[in-house]
Amino acid sequence: MTATSIIWQVARREITERGRSKAYLITTVVTLLLVLGLVIVPSLLGGGTEEYTIGSIGEGNQPIVESAELLRNAGDEPEDEESVAISIVEFGNLEDAETALADGEVDAVLVDGSEVVVESVGGFGDSAVVSLLQRGAASVELEVIVSESGQAATDVIDVMTSDPLETTTLSGQEAGDESAGVLAYAGLMLLYIAILLYGTWILTGVTEEKSNRVVEVLLSSVKPWQLLAGKIAGIGILGIAQFTGTILVAIVALQLTGAFELPNIGVSSVVTLVVWFVLGFLLYAVMFGAAGSLVSRMEDAQNVAFPMSLTAVAGFFVSIAALNDPDGAAAVIGTFIPLTAPFVVPVRAALDAIPLWQYLLSIVMVLATIAGMTLVAGRIYAGALLRYGGRTKLREAWRSAAE
Amino acid sequence: MLAIQDLHKTFGNVVALDGCTFGVERGRMLGFLGPNGAGKTTAMRSIFGLIHHEKGSVTWDDNEITINERRRFGYMPEERGLYPKMKAHDQLTYLGRLRGMSASDASKSADNWLERFDLADRRTDPVEALSHGNQQRVQLAAALIHDPELLVLDEPFSGLDPIAAETMGDILREQAAKGTAVVFSSHQLDVVEDLCEDVAIINRGSIVVEGTVKQLKDAAPIRHIELDIDGDPEPLLASLDGIRHTTVNGSMHTVIIDADTDMRGFLARAQNAGRLRHFTYTTPSLSDLFREAVQ
Ligand SMILES: Nc1ncnc2c1ncn2[C@@H]1O[C@H](COP(=O)(O)OP(=O)(O)OP(=O)(O)O)[C@@H](O)[C@H]1O
Ligand SMILES: [Mg+2]
Repeated sequence: MTATSIIWQVARREITERGRSKAYLITTVVTLLLVLGLVIVPSLLGGGTEEYTIGSIGEGNQPIVESAELLRNAGDEPEDEESVAISIVEFGNLEDAETALADGEVDAVLVDGSEVVVESVGGFGDSAVVSLLQRGAASVELEVIVSESGQAATDVIDVMTSDPLETTTLSGQEAGDESAGVLAYAGLMLLYIAILLYGTWILTGVTEEKSNRVVEVLLSSVKPWQLLAGKIAGIGILGIAQFTGTILVAIVALQLTGAFELPNIGVSSVVTLVVWFVLGFLLYAVMFGAAGSLVSRMEDAQNVAFPMSLTAVAGFFVSIAALNDPDGAAAVIGTFIPLTAPFVVPVRAALDAIPLWQYLLSIVMVLATIAGMTLVAGRIYAGALLRYGGRTKLREAWRSAAE
Repeated sequence: MLAIQDLHKTFGNVVALDGCTFGVERGRMLGFLGPNGAGKTTAMRSIFGLIHHEKGSVTWDDNEITINERRRFGYMPEERGLYPKMKAHDQLTYLGRLRGMSASDASKSADNWLERFDLADRRTDPVEALSHGNQQRVQLAAALIHDPELLVLDEPFSGLDPIAAETMGDILREQAAKGTAVVFSSHQLDVVEDLCEDVAIINRGSIVVEGTVKQLKDAAPIRHIELDIDGDPEPLLASLDGIRHTTVNGSMHTVIIDADTDMRGFLARAQNAGRLRHFTYTTPSLSDLFREAVQ
């Protein structure tokens, strides 16, 4: 019987037993609901039209409001709802207008096209409405100046809402192509969540086999590293299925609600992301498996996993630094530390900010670490699995497996 | 055959195995005896590579045992363990497949054993829903699922009711009869005496007695006397040389005595001392041998 077929048997048990378990079904449903909620709720809240009511006293307010609206809505696609809608309420005197303002019936009061009254400054909504009106007023003045020179007012609006400067980047990225960064960031979050979530499954799965003592029967006919490899493969497949499903649902929901347009992603970015996702997952999975073998009670499992969780958090922060400064010292150092590389390299690659040699060297280093870790973890696993009572020290586990 | 040669194993300063040597042949059943902490479990684990001995060898048909041999062995560990939430039938099939059986063979064999243990109607129950004794049966089935060449059972009779113990005994006998090498440890010496031709007794990590039960009894330097008499047996017993051990239970005296003690005339003297209710003079029981060996 070949090692692969044994590993596959172990993985298959993991998939069928765990995949059928209530816990798996519940986490799947909960994550799906959570993702749907995250996608749909903001689009319900934020997707619509901003609405303001402006009190008006005297003359000259109408053009300001109109051009404020026009300016803001100029960037809208024809099929979209308008970004902003402003209605006007006329007041006879300032006192009535101020009362309405205080009661929240109007958001601001314009006086004679030259003054704006709001409830207070510094409030979030207040400054938004003020800046909206300010821009409207500015463009009205511009219009006056421009129309004296014989130009049409709409031309002014066109100019004001356009980006006249052409943007180029040193790396040759296309202007306005932020999708790579977005993708890298999303991939990063996913890797981080996957490592902690599925790493914990591996951890508790190993501890469970030890605590219910089935491990002695298993090890009588399977090598420790095969058991570990099968477990990682099985949980990896289940986890990736759950993850891919969630991501697909999220993308479909985002498309349907129109909250997000799928960035135009190159094949190479996707390959990079997938490769590093797998590398990162394997690296941490092996360590979680070895950690799980050190304890015999489920209550102790989380404690032994703490160093790994901490490393993952550190990797996550280094990668955020890399997102801001992909050539910086933190990013480069993070590239050559195997435990942080899976977080850092995809970010730098997405931003086209990693030399090829660094990229390749980092992959080699991570692969070597995975191979080394598997041997170390296999031995720790073998040495610790039949030790009960308390927590096995790493050194004891290592020594008692000595062959 | 299984041959264990000069095994040494220490845990810290505890010597668990100290030159342990014994063998089990195909078609034979060996009872592996020894007091608590003598090293039985450690020796059995070493067959499966679950502990790494510092010195010595474990071989099967003169070959070093690797994972390929182990897949043809069946093992019931002292600490029973199965996946509690996995269905009995699925569990057995899985363990069969890990030992290299095809899916259909494993499934068929699982059904056969569940049938044999009267658990056919519980085949889709999770193991945790079975009673302790029934879990024990599934555990035994797990060791037998792939029709092993060597069967190693660590205290298979502990926790079984007399009927279940009888079934267990029948199955072990059956296995030995069809050519499997069987070794099991036990503290129930009467069961071992009933079941096994061969015994090995381990004490402080090394084998102190090994052979067939009959040989050992005949060759033993002791005899077993049971005496129940009206009146005082003390002066009567005092007349015997070489008494090693006396236990009194009511009026029944059980005496272990040197085999070469001259017993001529003892029965006549006993009859004179009072009304004789019970008297036997026999080769020692396995318990006597055991006590002598480990004291
Ligand atoms: N994993 C271990 N760590 C430390 N000491 C151990 C370990 N396993 C066994 N020992 C020690 O080795 C000695 C032999 O133990 P073993 O379990 O082999 O005895 P045993 O004959 O099976 O006893 P019992 O009849 O109680 O099951 C004991 O002193 C035990 O404390
Ligand atoms: Mg034992």
